[in-house]
Amino acid sequence: MAENYDESAVDKNDAFVERVAARLRTPEHVHPSFEKRVMEKVLAEGTALYPKRRFSGSWWRTERVFRLTPLTGLALAAGITAVIAVSSVAVGARMSGRGQGAQGTSHAAASVRADTVQLVRFVFVDPKAERVELVGDFNEWARGTTQLKRSGAPGVWAVSVPLSPGRHEYAFIINGSRWVADPLAVKSSDDFGTESSVIRVGPAGNSAT
Amino acid sequence: MKGSSDAELISAVLAGDIEAFSGLIRRYQDTCARFAVRMLGSRVDADDALQSAFMRAFRGLRTCRDPERFGGWLYQIVVNECRTYASRQRRRELRFTPATNAIERAVAPSTEVENESDVSWHIEHALGMLPADQREAFLLKYVEELTYDEMAGITGVSVSALKMRVKRACDGLRDLLEGVYHG
Repeated sequence: MAENYDESAVDKNDAFVERVAARLRTPEHVHPSFEKRVMEKVLAEGTALYPKRRFSGSWWRTERVFRLTPLTGLALAAGITAVIAVSSVAVGARMSGRGQGAQGTSHAAASVRADTVQLVRFVFVDPKAERVELVGDFNEWARGTTQLKRSGAPGVWAVSVPLSPGRHEYAFIINGSRWVADPLAVKSSDDFGTESSVIRVGPAGNSAT
Repeated sequence: MKGSSDAELISAVLAGDIEAFSGLIRRYQDTCARFAVRMLGSRVDADDALQSAFMRAFRGLRTCRDPERFGGWLYQIVVNECRTYASRQRRRELRFTPATNAIERAVAPSTEVENESDVSWHIEHALGMLPADQREAFLLKYVEELTYDEMAGITGVSVSALKMRVKRACDGLRDLLEGVYHG
């Protein structure tokens, strides 16, 4: 059926329609407990969704141009390989230490060039996780921007993130709601007692926590 | 936070001040309640739909591209949520109601309107008898008094289709309420 209709055919001054609509325009109010009920749910999810910002750094969103010469390109490729290798060793150790069902994370960093970009590989181990996200000062603690992907062994999640040299704080969000600090890294707490983890990316590519 | 703009409240929430969201709830809850109650014909369902809508808005706050127009964005979510609930209601009705002509049953009995609350009851009942898409269009046009362009922005339906729905809704109400308003 065609749904084209000429507006002029609608009688805007139809008294009947106006009488009906006037009745329906009477205000409605939500139940007095509405705000409280919604806020209970909001607060239950809120910390993981919108953690307190403690840093104003916006490196992640700053547009940068990386110029790679053939030499630095080779170095970059080598750097990525090194990162993966280091991470794999750390994860293996972690899994053998705790066995199936254990949960933990480890991270490692490799540098390519101190003045360009350094890739840091974040690894999280939790066989029960269905979704793992990484939040930190480098992505303004924004959810949905850095997802870890399943990587190799069951329960192993990983992502590589370019970080600027310096100190960074981060945490993982598991299954969209559970905030987890890296158990293998130095901890940092905010004013509300929420723990996150610290990684230091050295100017020469060394990482330390 | 009381005098803060929508954009300021949203910015506070995104920065971790979760409590600031209560300011947005207080500001919009009653505005949205009228549409939800009229659309669903049930305060219980409207309450559920509004809770879902506010939670969806909270979870998706980062996707609100124009925080100064939070109200319109939220309204869009409320309309969608009400569609979902209306569809559930329809399935419920189909499950529990014998397949007779619901409109006939609803309209047939009464041509005698005793008082003002009777009139309101008949109107709300007749509204509930309309197909959901026509009810939605009628409410947005004549009760919320939006323009067709605004309605199109909220519903994602073309202006010409909305005009047709409004026309059919008016015709339907006229038929259903014949006994109440005597045409």
